[in-house]
Amino acid sequence: MSEAVLKLTVYFGESDRVGGRLVSDGLCDLFERREVRAALLLRGVEGFGAKQLLHTDRFLTLSEDLPLVALAVDDEAAIRSLAPDVERLVRGGLVTVERLRPAGGGELPEPAKLTVHLGRDDPYVAVVEHLRRAGLAGASVLLGVDGMAHGRRRRARFLSRNESVPLLIVSVGSAAAAARALEGLPDVVADAVATIERVEILKRDGARLAELPSAPAGTWQKLTVYAGEQARHRRRPLHVELVRRLRAAHASGATTLRGVWGFSGDHAPHGDRLLAVHRRVPVLTTVVDDPDRVRSAYRIVDELTDETGLVTVETVPTVLLPRA
Amino acid sequence: MSVVVWLAAGALGGIGALLRFHLDAAVQGRASGELPVGTLAVNVVGSLALGVLTGAGVAGDALLLAGTAVIGSFTTFSTWMLETQRLAEDGDDRIALVNVALPLAAGLAAAAAGWALGAAL
Repeated sequence: MSEAVLKLTVYFGESDRVGGRLVSDGLCDLFERREVRAALLLRGVEGFGAKQLLHTDRFLTLSEDLPLVALAVDDEAAIRSLAPDVERLVRGGLVTVERLRPAGGGELPEPAKLTVHLGRDDPYVAVVEHLRRAGLAGASVLLGVDGMAHGRRRRARFLSRNESVPLLIVSVGSAAAAARALEGLPDVVADAVATIERVEILKRDGARLAELPSAPAGTWQKLTVYAGEQARHRRRPLHVELVRRLRAAHASGATTLRGVWGFSGDHAPHGDRLLAVHRRVPVLTTVVDDPDRVRSAYRIVDELTDETGLVTVETVPTVLLPRA
Repeated sequence: MSVVVWLAAGALGGIGALLRFHLDAAVQGRASGELPVGTLAVNVVGSLALGVLTGAGVAGDALLLAGTAVIGSFTTFSTWMLETQRLAEDGDDRIALVNVALPLAAGLAAAAAGWALGAAL
């Protein structure tokens, strides 16, 4: 992948159907048919969309239609050719296209977001340790429930060990750290799809590192808060409070994803331990919206991340389907 | 138990489950806090109703149908436990304990009040 690489992202709902079929199945079948380089279906744990309905795995009756995020990464021609089919499949929700830098594509942006697409049977714990040693500021491992990895469809099934489902590792840090990480990556895992994106780090552990930049005309922005499951704002879980406040302020949507493994800063990598009740996994909350609405959402994010969390913003150049 | 009662228990159980789903979703959808108040509402309403039935001396097939079938599938112990476990996962043991104590106290009070109400009818 030496030419331009694009990432297509679809934000939608677990029970969304078109023509009697689940949209999630339709999208993953499409990615399989087109042999997309890397594709992943992520199941969120909490979120809401334009209808302002809360979906969360915390309450049983509100958990049957959880937010989903489908990602597809490939060269520009392949992603562009997916667009008409995606637009046919997705009736509500949000579809965005972002431009990525393939690994080995010259000078890296400062700071950089490094994403590594793998399968669950790859040594992802070793990759996270490699990213930490390279000096990245943090990394989160997100497990997919369906998608494509190493050129094959990998789908999670009920009562199965699901050992080869796709996963992605998202990591943020300095250009130098990202370059070090990319250089040694083939020694840790063969055949991984690694991409680089431009990102702005706004806050880290309560410290303001940059002001929210204004977006180029016609583009949207993606605001992401990375925190641990145990992160708090006034004794309440930070990610729960974030979604609650954003929804109360009538933001047009937010999605929370829970990772399975990760690290932040100098702390040792962490995940769940056997027989422990408190979870120690990374949690990401994302808001994608036009710059005006992102600015109001950031006021809430800024207030709640006064002590903890990593807050980033990215430019989303193309919105194929704004929320219906 | 006659076949008619057997079939009626199945149908009424289904109605109880649907009623639970709608009340739970209506209450939880309006709430914004961390407590699973939808489940709390369902269990308190169910406790009150079962108290009224037994207090009023409903017995036999009628109690089986109204109590075990309708209220039995309307209320939920498993959801209460599951949601308490999720609260503990998020790390706030205090709120998880509140979710054990509050529905327990409210349920007992509702059952007692229902019984007194039923007995007075």
